Amino acid sequence: MSAELRDSAPTTNSQTSGSSAPLLAIDRVCKWFHTPEGVVRAVDHVSFQVHQGEFVSIIGPSGCGKSTLFNILGGLSGKSEGSVTIGGQESTGPHPEVGMVFQEESTFPWRNVIENVAFPLEAAGVPKAERLARAAELVDLVGLHGFERRHPAELSGGMRQRVCIARTLASRPKILLMDEPFGALDEQTRLLLGDKVLQIQQALQQTTLLITHSITEAVQLSDRILVMTYRPGRVKRIIEVNLPRPRSSEILASATFGQYVAEIWADLREEATRGMKDSER
Amino acid sequence: MAGTLVNRQHVRRRRLSPITAMRGAAVIVILALWQAISASGLLYNGVIPSLLAILRALVQVVFGSELYRNMAVTGFEVLGALLIGGIAGIAAGLALGASRFLSRAYEPYVHYLAPTPKIVFLPVLMAALGVGPASKLALGAISAFFPMALSIAAGVRQVDPVLLRVARSFRLSRFQIVRMIYLPALVRPISVGLRLAFGLAMVGCLLSEIALSNRGLGYLAAQDYAHFQIAHMYAVLIVVFVLAAAGNAAIVWALRRPGEA
Repeated sequence: MSAELRDSAPTTNSQTSGSSAPLLAIDRVCKWFHTPEGVVRAVDHVSFQVHQGEFVSIIGPSGCGKSTLFNILGGLSGKSEGSVTIGGQESTGPHPEVGMVFQEESTFPWRNVIENVAFPLEAAGVPKAERLARAAELVDLVGLHGFERRHPAELSGGMRQRVCIARTLASRPKILLMDEPFGALDEQTRLLLGDKVLQIQQALQQTTLLITHSITEAVQLSDRILVMTYRPGRVKRIIEVNLPRPRSSEILASATFGQYVAEIWADLREEATRGMKDSER
Repeated sequence: MAGTLVNRQHVRRRRLSPITAMRGAAVIVILALWQAISASGLLYNGVIPSLLAILRALVQVVFGSELYRNMAVTGFEVLGALLIGGIAGIAAGLALGASRFLSRAYEPYVHYLAPTPKIVFLPVLMAALGVGPASKLALGAISAFFPMALSIAAGVRQVDPVLLRVARSFRLSRFQIVRMIYLPALVRPISVGLRLAFGLAMVGCLLSEIALSNRGLGYLAAQDYAHFQIAHMYAVLIVVFVLAAAGNAAIVWALRRPGEA
C-alpha cells in the first residue's frame, strides 16, 4: 500500500498524466524578502508540474510560503529566482489563461450575483446579452440558481465564495488557482462545497491548483498533493491520490482515505511543530 | 438563505407604527408649545407670532412673486457652489486618497481648516467679486470643498485591497480599474460628501446674503427682520428649511443603491 501512496522525488520528471507537455511548470522558484532582521526565504527552489485536467493541492503549515507561491503563480508578485512557464511560455505577470480565487471575500458589493460573475466578460468587452447568458450558466453550475439578482450582502460566506469561483471561471482560464477559498467557512460547509468543486471540475475538466491547509480537503479533491515544509518553503513530498473518480465527500468514510490523511499528517506534523516553535520564540 | 433577507415590507404594512406616532407627537407638542407661548404674551408679541399669523404669511410668501426671484438667486449660488466646490473637492480627494505622499503633506491642513467658519473669507471675496451673487457662490464653494475632499479621500483609501488584486488578476487597464472599481466604490462617499457639502454651501450662501447683499433668500429674511415683519421672516425660513430638506432627499434618492454593505 505504501508504494502506491508515495512518490518521494519532488523534482521527478515522470508524471502520471503521460506524454503531453505540462500546462503549468514551475522550475526552481525562490522568493526572498529583505527585512530588518535579515533575508527571509519564503520559498526555496520549488519545482513541480501540472498537467491538463489535473487537480493538484498544495498543503503546508502556516508560514510555509503557500500564499507567496500562489501570488507568484498568478503573476501578482515577482519571484527572486526561477521560472514559471504556462502553456510552454514563460510568464511574469497576470496571465490570461490563469484564473485566481482569493482567500478573502472578494465579491463586488455594488454588483448583484450575475453582474459579479459577468465582470471579467464585461472587462473583456463581451456584449451584454452574451455575457449575462454565460454568467447565468456559471451561476447554475455553482448551484446558485435563483440568486442571480441578489447582492453579496444578502448571501452567506459560502455562497459569496461560490460567486467568486463562478466569476473566475467566467474568464475560461486554462488553470484555476485557488488560495484557501473555503478557509473562513465551517467544516460541514467546506465538505459540501468540496463536493461542488468536484462536480465543477468533473463537468469542465478544469485544471486546478488548490492551496489549502485542510488535509481532508486536499485528499477529497486532488489527484496529487504537494506537501510543503515550513519556511523556507520547499516541496517535501508529492503524493499521488489513487482514489476513484467521480468522487464525493462520501469518500471520507473509506479506509484508503484515512491512510492518505495519516500519511500526510505524519509529514505535516513535523513541519507544523517547527512553525509553532518559531512563533513562540 | 431567504430568511437572512431583511424584510422591510413588514413594517410599512402596519397602519401607524410607533415610530411615526412618536414623530407626529413631537411635532404636535412643539406646535402646541409655540402657540401657547405666543398667545400667553410672555414674550413680546411680535417675536413669537401665532401659528395662524405664520400660516397667513406663508400663504402670502408662496403665492407672491418676490420669493421665487430670490429663490432663483440663492439656488443659483448654492448649485454653483456645489458644482465648483464639489468638483474641486473630488479632484483633491482623489489626489489625497491615491497618493500617500500628498496625503501626509496636505491632508492635516484640510482636516484643520474644515471646521473653521468660512464666513471670515467674505470681506476678501466681496472686495474681489463684488456684493452680488458671485461672492456668495465663492464662499459656498469654499464651504463645499472640504467635506467633499475629506469624504472622497477616505473613500479611495477604503476600497478593499483584495478587489484591486481581483482587477489585476483579470488584467484590467488602469482606466478600467477606475471606471469599474473606484467609481462604483465611491458612490457612497460622494453621497455623504455631497450632502454635507450641500448643507454647508447653503449655510455659507445664506449667511453671506444676510451679511451684505441685495438679493436672495438670506437677504429676504434679513429684510423682514429689519422691518420687523417677523411672521413673514418665519415663512421665508420655513421655505428655506423645506428646500434644504428636499435637496438632501434628492441627493440621497439620486445616489441610492440596493444591497450595499
